[in-house]
Amino acid sequence: MRILVKVNGDTYEREVAENRTLLRFLREDLGITGPKEGCGMGECGACTVFLNGRAVNSCMVLAVEADGATVDTVEGESKGPELSEIQKAFERNHAVQCGFCTPGMVMSVKELLRDNAKPSVDEIKEAVEGNFCRCTGYAQIVEAVLDLTGRASEKGGIGHVE
Amino acid sequence: MLHDFRYAAPRTAPELLDLLEGEGAMMLAGGTDLLPNVRNGVFKPRLVVDVKKLPDSDRIAFGAEGLEFGPAVTLNDVLRSKDAREKYPALCACVHELASHQVRNRATVVGNVMNASPCSDTAPALLCLGARAIVRSKTGARELPFDHFFAGPKKTRLEKGEFLEKVIVPASSAGAKGRYLKLKRINGHDLGIVGVLMLEKDGALSFAVSSAAPTPVLVTGLRKGVAPDEAAAKVLAACSPITDVRATKEYREFMIGVYVRRLLSEGV
Repeated sequence: MRILVKVNGDTYEREVAENRTLLRFLREDLGITGPKEGCGMGECGACTVFLNGRAVNSCMVLAVEADGATVDTVEGESKGPELSEIQKAFERNHAVQCGFCTPGMVMSVKELLRDNAKPSVDEIKEAVEGNFCRCTGYAQIVEAVLDLTGRASEKGGIGHVE
Repeated sequence: MLHDFRYAAPRTAPELLDLLEGEGAMMLAGGTDLLPNVRNGVFKPRLVVDVKKLPDSDRIAFGAEGLEFGPAVTLNDVLRSKDAREKYPALCACVHELASHQVRNRATVVGNVMNASPCSDTAPALLCLGARAIVRSKTGARELPFDHFFAGPKKTRLEKGEFLEKVIVPASSAGAKGRYLKLKRINGHDLGIVGVLMLEKDGALSFAVSSAAPTPVLVTGLRKGVAPDEAAAKVLAACSPITDVRATKEYREFMIGVYVRRLLSEGV
């Protein structure tokens, strides 16, 4: 089936197999490899992208379902060598170790901050419940978000993350 | 690589019903159950019929009948609906317990009940709130109350050639308060070990329990002030949990009793 999809602001028109996932389409057909395949069944969140502005697991979306849709991936975050504010906060707070979860984690945080400019620790934790990180223990990720939103020094901020 | 299938996104109900008659046709809403099951080889559809292009399938609105929503309404659509949050907090409490944020952005209430898992988190709310399904076939539409909806594990009482077009949560249940306790190992994607919802409306109490029997369980006819042990016994009498990879039958029974008593002592 022929689909037209806008990814990170660029429009792509491609012929795609109807059983192809959006994740495989992005990675293998378009070469957009920020989103990763971890579990392939919606548990680990490494494949998280925006579909029409909402964070979804792209391993559980068919590419044909994205016909006419807007998709945003971590590649759309940086402008050339300039990282986005979320990415900078991750870097500053050592919220990245191996980096496999980071492209999905950044997209989940991005949706959280769009709807909630100053989330609490519990709200941050809930927003990334669907993103598994096996390196950082999550504390630095929560700290990165608190740092970014100016809540790092508040009670419950850095130093208080359980 | 997923099993090979064709995809169709019909724009009218008659077209959708025609497609569903085809050999190996399966319905796609959020895809969060269907696609992992296709990947694991549990389902081998020949045709995947996407319900999301049907007009109004993503509509959620409160009207004279109550809260109505179509088969493409996601769990987060429910949580974002002011009417749902203000008038049906018990529905939102249950919906919020299901999986992760990304899954809730895709998974639908209709998909969750059509999957008919005993561990459905949306079913307890729909049961306690007296919700009903509007089911359409080529010969017309019929109403199927959720206390008659589930036939067994992964089985509904929809017949071949029917699809769930709309859910109605009655206006008479608006304002009822509820609390859902779900036992799970981790937050996020975990399936429940057991889940107990208590709903309170004008002094009447009802309970619904997930992961406790071949279908979600509904227990009605209790009043506020009931002795906790009596309520726990009555709820447990309606349950018949099994031992599986997630927990033993005995642990489930024990925790159902704990949750019923806790809900009664702490209130909604």
